[in-house]
Amino acid sequence: MKRGLLLLALAAAGGAQNLPDVLKQGETVFNKSCATGYCHGARGTGGGAPRIAARGFDQAFIANTVLRGVPATAMPAFGATLSRSDVTAVVAYVASLNGVTGPARINAPAAKLSGDAARGRDLFSDAVRSFGRCSTCHEVGGLGIAIATPIAKVPADAAALKALATPQVSTVTIGSDSMPALVVSQKANAVIFYDLTSAPPVLRTEAPAAIQTRDGSTWRHSSVTGSYNDAEASAILTYLRAVVKP
Amino acid sequence: MRYLTFLLALSTLSAQDAGITRADWPHYGGTQFSWRYSGLDQVNTSNVRNLLPAWIFQTGDYTENLGSTPIVADGVMYLISAGARVFALDAAKGTLIWQYRYPTARPGIAGSHSDFIQNRGVAVGDGKVIFGTKDNFMVALDQKTGHEVWKVSVDDPKQCGCNITAAPLIVKDKVIVGGNGGDQAHRGYLTAFYTKTGRMAWRWYVVPAKGEKGNETWKGDSWRFGGGAPWLTGSFDPDLNLVYWGTGNAAADFYDADRVAAGTNKGKDVNLYTASVVALDADTGKLKWHFQEVPDDQWDYDSAYEVLLMDRQIRGQMRKVLVHMNKSGLTFVLDRATGEFLSSFNVPEISNWMTGVTEDGKLVGRNEPELGKTKNFCPSTAGAKSWNSTAYSPRTGFLYVPAIELCMDITPNDTKASEGHFFMNGDFPSRLPPNRSTYSHVDAWDPVTGKRVWSVPYKYVLLSSVLATGGDLVFTGDPEGNFFALNARTGDKLWSFQTGAGHRGAAISYSVNGRQFIAATTGFQQTVVGGAIIGLFPEESFRGGSTLVVFALPEGSR
Repeated sequence: MKRGLLLLALAAAGGAQNLPDVLKQGETVFNKSCATGYCHGARGTGGGAPRIAARGFDQAFIANTVLRGVPATAMPAFGATLSRSDVTAVVAYVASLNGVTGPARINAPAAKLSGDAARGRDLFSDAVRSFGRCSTCHEVGGLGIAIATPIAKVPADAAALKALATPQVSTVTIGSDSMPALVVSQKANAVIFYDLTSAPPVLRTEAPAAIQTRDGSTWRHSSVTGSYNDAEASAILTYLRAVVKP
Repeated sequence: MRYLTFLLALSTLSAQDAGITRADWPHYGGTQFSWRYSGLDQVNTSNVRNLLPAWIFQTGDYTENLGSTPIVADGVMYLISAGARVFALDAAKGTLIWQYRYPTARPGIAGSHSDFIQNRGVAVGDGKVIFGTKDNFMVALDQKTGHEVWKVSVDDPKQCGCNITAAPLIVKDKVIVGGNGGDQAHRGYLTAFYTKTGRMAWRWYVVPAKGEKGNETWKGDSWRFGGGAPWLTGSFDPDLNLVYWGTGNAAADFYDADRVAAGTNKGKDVNLYTASVVALDADTGKLKWHFQEVPDDQWDYDSAYEVLLMDRQIRGQMRKVLVHMNKSGLTFVLDRATGEFLSSFNVPEISNWMTGVTEDGKLVGRNEPELGKTKNFCPSTAGAKSWNSTAYSPRTGFLYVPAIELCMDITPNDTKASEGHFFMNGDFPSRLPPNRSTYSHVDAWDPVTGKRVWSVPYKYVLLSSVLATGGDLVFTGDPEGNFFALNARTGDKLWSFQTGAGHRGAAISYSVNGRQFIAATTGFQQTVVGGAIIGLFPEESFRGGSTLVVFALPEGSR
């Protein structure tokens, strides 16, 4: 089965160009291919086509749109017409118009996976498990919802996966309701956190005065990995070892 | 006739009250009974010719149409644009109270439903304004401030190719929403969340998993990507505590050999629970009953449309019924407590995919697509009605239908499923049926007798929801930009106003401080059906936009 698996690769990493050069190249490509009055205008401020500066677009979205176009509109797919280097550059440039700086991440072909790892990849995002699948909270290889921080270290085996310590999960109390929570941001007027009471996690925004937060929680990773048996968990770990670069 | 209607009205008072809106327009379909009927009668057949715009609101979101149904509560209107900008407006004046702009959506799968920019409305309840997004989030805003309260990811658009375009439905302490994606290799579902916390209360999969009842109606593993997306908004009967929803077509749309075992009897229950009406327990999401309208759907005649709940005298007995039309135009009257088939009628004038329905509700004379051939079928996948809603008036007892007369040429193929990617397995270009000069009509149907009472033809294709009112008026708009009122009893056109852009959304009615307003969304949508219609009538230019035009009788003239 063909999967829409898109591995994000740091296309500019290790390359000869530094970021200012990439942006300069991107601006040139943009002015040539995107900035006419019929389309997005100089610096993406809009013309016949929508404004694309300061829209909050991220690199993944821009890369997807540039490569594939927007069906049923005048936005063509540039994946076949621009070189990989030009795509990388123009994505970085449009991202910079949206306040995102850094080397462009664009879609690269998926690496070949071993049989066990490929099975692990399918299990990771297995839709039949509904919200019991890993991708409910983890984004890996372009699939999944990035609720947890990126996986940096792969557990040794299924037992370690279950026993995984999750010190980042704290406890939030609102009135009489206490819940395991992953705090995303704490500002003067709002605390934003994921409520992990049940899957899927809910991103909640509360006034700081309305809630109490304390470190630690009774939440355990094993409470959400129950849809997988040990053999399935092992295959998932094999997949993660193949794609997660420390 | 009037006297009889009055008697009927008295005898069904409670069900009527549940279907009628007054000052507010609280739900997508008016009330949870989905009649799109306002009891207000200040604007009526004798004065509708005096209607004038009272205020106009432009969303500024012109990437797609304005296809949503506004909600009105306590003099405040809540409106969402195609790209999920949400506005709270003073419903009497149109002044902005707050606005919310949904940030850039997560990318989905190119060319799949997750690319469509559409939003059909918000739900308002529990002090929140709740909506689904292009990238499969449910978002709840504080009704007073427009600030985000909770947000939850319903599915990964990069995997499922699906999204949410339907307005959610508030049911007691929950909000229920269906998803798009039944034309992809995807397995449809309804999900209920607690309005207070955003936590999931239940999920019901349209296609049963292995080991569950109904799974045996699927060949092999085809159930995993069997479609059935319930992509519109359902209804709720508080007395029976049942939620009603229409489910979408089976996937692949036009080719069944991979999902239906050879030799299957197609009379009943094939590929459950696609192309069906289902009744679910509102608290648990457990299936109470189902009625499949198109067993083994091979025409994309999905049954995801609105479900109207009413109490009517059927064969001398007062029955709690539901009336449900699917894309084919077949309209079923069922007992809504049990799912028992009571009767059916067929709305389109041109229909060649079957020859009739038996007395127990089974299709006869099926004319199916065939691999390796191109065959002409009517109606088209645009439907004998598109997703825009019908309306029902308890005063006339009629169902008002914006009906379409189009055909299509289906050429199936046997492409294999690839998760989240398009899985229609066929080309299906729309065709104008020969020997006609009009391609749609507004009809009044009596759902009890199954008879068409009147019909008003229209040259192009009507794609906007209908509003019926206590002033015996029926409102809808056309793609040329005309918003018009018909006499609900006769179909006579009483008033029309050129709003400047085509209609693809809905009209509602409400009142503030005793003044009745009629609000119409304008801006013709290009995605899917709209684009196909544009292609059929190249001499016309159906204009897009995203503007709400609100009408009332001039102050002092009432």
